[in-house]
Amino acid sequence: MIMTDVDIAIVGGGCAGMSAALSAYGHGIRNIVIFERNSYLGGVLKQCIHNGFGIHKFREDLTGTQYAAKLIDDIVKTDICIKTDTIVLNITEEKEIVAVSSKEGITGYRAKSIILAMGCRERSRGELMIPGSRPAGVLTAGVAQRYMNIEGYLVGKKVFILGSGDIGLIMARQFVLEGAEVVAIAEVMPYSGGLARNIVQCAEDFGIPIYYNTTVTGIVGKKRVEGVFISDVDENRKPVLSTERFVDCDTLMLSVGLIPENEIAFKAGIKLSEKTGGPIVDDMLQTDIDGIFSCGNCLHVHDLVDFVSIESEVAGKNSAMYILDKIKKDKKPLVIETNDGEGVSGTVPHRIDLNKGEEEVTLMFRPNSKFRSCTATARINDRIISSKKMPVAVPGEMCELKINKNDFGPFEKNDKLTVEIIP
Amino acid sequence: MDRNILFFKTGVSMYDAIVIGSGVSGASVARELSRYKLKIAVLEKGDDVCSGTSKGNSAVVHSGYDARYGTNKAHYNVIGNAMYDNLCHELSVPFVRNGTITYALSEEEVEKLQELTENAKKNKVPGVKLLNRKELEEVGGDFGAEVCGGLWAPTGGVVCPYNLVIAMCENAAENGVEFFLNTEVNHIEKEAIGYSIKTNRGEFISKIVFNCAGTHADEMNNFVSSEKLKIIPRKGNYLILDRKLSGKVKNTIFQAPKKLPGGGHTKGMVMVPTVDGTIILGCDSTDVDDKDDVSTTREGIEAVYQYFSENWKNFPVSREIPEFPKKMIISSYAGLRAHSVTDDFIIGEVKDAEGFFNMAGIESPGLTAAPAIAAELVSEVSKKYIFEINPAFNPLRKIPKQFRDMNDEERIKALERDKNYGKIICRCEEVTKAEILQAINSIIPAKSVNAIKMRTRAGMGRCQGGYCGPEIVSIISEETGIPITEITLSGEDSFIVPYETCIPGEI
Ligand SMILES: Cc1cc2nc3c(=O)[nH]c(=O)nc-3n(C[C@H](O)[C@H](O)[C@H](O)COP(=O)(O)OP(=O)(O)OC[C@H]3O[C@@H](n4cnc5c(N)ncnc54)[C@H](O)[C@@H]3O)c2cc1C
Ligand SMILES: Cc1cc2nc3c(=O)[nH]c(=O)nc-3n(C[C@H](O)[C@H](O)[C@H](O)COP(=O)(O)OP(=O)(O)OC[C@H]3O[C@@H](n4cnc5c(N)ncnc54)[C@H](O)[C@@H]3O)c2cc1C
Repeated sequence: MIMTDVDIAIVGGGCAGMSAALSAYGHGIRNIVIFERNSYLGGVLKQCIHNGFGIHKFREDLTGTQYAAKLIDDIVKTDICIKTDTIVLNITEEKEIVAVSSKEGITGYRAKSIILAMGCRERSRGELMIPGSRPAGVLTAGVAQRYMNIEGYLVGKKVFILGSGDIGLIMARQFVLEGAEVVAIAEVMPYSGGLARNIVQCAEDFGIPIYYNTTVTGIVGKKRVEGVFISDVDENRKPVLSTERFVDCDTLMLSVGLIPENEIAFKAGIKLSEKTGGPIVDDMLQTDIDGIFSCGNCLHVHDLVDFVSIESEVAGKNSAMYILDKIKKDKKPLVIETNDGEGVSGTVPHRIDLNKGEEEVTLMFRPNSKFRSCTATARINDRIISSKKMPVAVPGEMCELKINKNDFGPFEKNDKLTVEIIP
Repeated sequence: MDRNILFFKTGVSMYDAIVIGSGVSGASVARELSRYKLKIAVLEKGDDVCSGTSKGNSAVVHSGYDARYGTNKAHYNVIGNAMYDNLCHELSVPFVRNGTITYALSEEEVEKLQELTENAKKNKVPGVKLLNRKELEEVGGDFGAEVCGGLWAPTGGVVCPYNLVIAMCENAAENGVEFFLNTEVNHIEKEAIGYSIKTNRGEFISKIVFNCAGTHADEMNNFVSSEKLKIIPRKGNYLILDRKLSGKVKNTIFQAPKKLPGGGHTKGMVMVPTVDGTIILGCDSTDVDDKDDVSTTREGIEAVYQYFSENWKNFPVSREIPEFPKKMIISSYAGLRAHSVTDDFIIGEVKDAEGFFNMAGIESPGLTAAPAIAAELVSEVSKKYIFEINPAFNPLRKIPKQFRDMNDEERIKALERDKNYGKIICRCEEVTKAEILQAINSIIPAKSVNAIKMRTRAGMGRCQGGYCGPEIVSIISEETGIPITEITLSGEDSFIVPYETCIPGEI
């Protein structure tokens, strides 16, 4: 196979891939290629025709498609090479890439640096182990959304939704706008994981009930969904079967979580985190293989695209620095690992190198339950390095805590930086 | 010409032999029959071949130590097992003799295994050995501390059951057998010229009938015979683990057999490394009423889940993956054993119905045994009715190698032939558009999303069709001209996207 040399190869042309590419380009790298398996750039943004995108980054309330268009406009002004309809099959530790497309066949690349920006996939019915039959009409929110907004088809007319996160809520509203009935939304937690504005604008305003502490315990229908069984759950989120009841519907839409897409990273031997499903990265967003970076939903699932852009710009910049050999090498690494403390789950980055990268690091993490007027802190043993007050914190919204490397002070080899939320 | 049109024009269709059902039994019989110059039809009520138990089971080609000596089950299990290498070679179906281990946790269980070892000897199963803990380790790896021994059966294997059955059907079709899908037998009557078979799609007449109707085989028999059969559907639930674990489990591993409260026994829970790299965990055993209801049950799924959570430590894979990897569960399914109250396969001509042949009560080890039963049965029938050999019979079914299994060189070549190999449709299982088109245009065309899934594995991976579903729907539509809103998951009214979205301004 003939190998083409490139500086940076980016896997995935969604918000993350494009933002990383633009950032690397801005830092002087010219030979950049983006691989995107769809026939268009933009990733999941392309099927989000609702607003709520770009408020932080562009100070404008855009739709997903508009947000994508802004990035695409910037990309086409550069000479970044875009390979759509091209799927990356494999990457290696040596940063070789095999991609395939109908147009060009199997192609090989050798990159100085790789940025992983593959986005995420949805949790399926299989993973939830919902018992019952396997009829048509059970599908995930992303698939329903794609049929509706890209292909122009409606998956059903009487819809039951499992999961009250933002995606579930937004789809509920869209079903109604398309003339379908949304029977109800079931949420296994005692509260919604979605933004308050979405609960109001997508469910309450349309009279769609949200059943909290409730889950789907069975699917009925031989060929097409005829209904679902739902049950209350106890405090351990186990169904209380004595409460099981039947709900008539022709569709069950699942909106029950996203999982970073890391098949090719896994095959390349990149270490993944059990908690986030994404690669283990340092504060430069570099994986455990030198020169391979990760950002966006394939690093950890984001709620807001603005933060995908910001994070990916960091990855793009560091990839450029890596190639330009500007990553400080004079000093020995001085690494501290981060650690999820009380109330926190999935802290990224997993490692901070005090002698490399930027002075300021943004820690990102999710609360593991709902908190009111609480404090997020990062500490080494009993020493608090950084903290911030938050009026509310919910698992549906990622939190940030900025931390300065100058504030770390001395620490021992096995010390960890513990991130926690204290009520 | 579309066979169905021909059929509707002539009204009644006459055949030399008709096979009811296209599971592993019906497919084996049909393929064996196609060795002779006969007009043969297979009637299948599902929208695709292999719509019954043959697609929901443990996928194990049993060695034969378990089936009780002297029964049909034992006899055909051992012969069937030996046929698998050649059969799968002829049909280009992957088959692996990975060996089966049944492990014991107590002296009592070792005794049970001792009995099985003796049974195996009588059944003439090659190579079966009762191993102590140390010997077991050499063969099968490091079992948990509580495991005190195991039964080793080297001839045990794994096959993809629907892959095999589809291959048999396609090969039979290539050799002239006609397949009628969506065709349900509602009644059978004995007439002067043979049997009149009434279906939802008209009447078929045939001199010879093979009853391979799985859980419904008793009904077929009872239409024509005064010797009534009774089949009890017995459900088993399974979990499937991600292909990411591929290679981490080598042997098929059973727990020691357990007695069933309702009589008989089950082989108990099993961990099976499939030929596709996934791992199957199952199954429980519960008698049910509905013979077609393959919905999974909460109790069943929980039983499997609980067993493997608690016993994971016993399996060698636990050395590398210490806890039951719950996040690796990608799907679950259930199958129905066609348990006959006589507790054995019921094979052969029905006493009071000449020309009507049963292959009934084909429960485990039916997948293993069916090719052997069919070969023997059809050979006997051919002698009785003096069938003429079909000189054109070709036992080989050639299929192009799957993209997933190609190396880079082969992929480059495939792409030179057909650029559709460059379009990956199912990313989890690496299925290309070329393979989807092959399935749609195969001799038994796949026109539903599930039919394509069964042939190509598209949609069977960890995302369960989340990415490829919409792509497949549009390829079927493009290729067949069926409108998108009429594409089904599995025939009848299982429409996937029944409506179009409204045009702006409509509401
Ligand atoms: C339904 C929904 C609603 C949302 N609503 C909002 C909102 O209201 N406001 C907001 O700010 N944010 C919202 N978000 C979040 C935000 O849109 C996403 O977090 C962001 O777009 C993710 O960008 P990404 O580039 O990481 O992933 P993606 O957009 O998924 O891009 C990944 C790309 O990689 C490609 N790819 C993957 N593997 C390969 C491979 N092997 N080879 C080639 N290409 C590959 C994929 O095709 C895809 O195009 C929403 C997200 C969803 C799903
Ligand atoms: C849980 C479980 C695990 C098993 N594990 C194994 C194993 O590991 N190894 C092994 O060797 N065996 C195993 N078996 C047994 C094996 O799966 C069966 O013996 C075998 O699949 C039966 O095949 P069949 O063709 O007889 O029936 P089926 O596969 O059920 O086929 C019958 C066909 O007839 C059709 N049909 C029914 N009624 C009508 C009608 N009226 N008109 C037209 N068509 C009709 C059905 O749609 C179906 O397609 C297992 C079985 C179960 C349930």
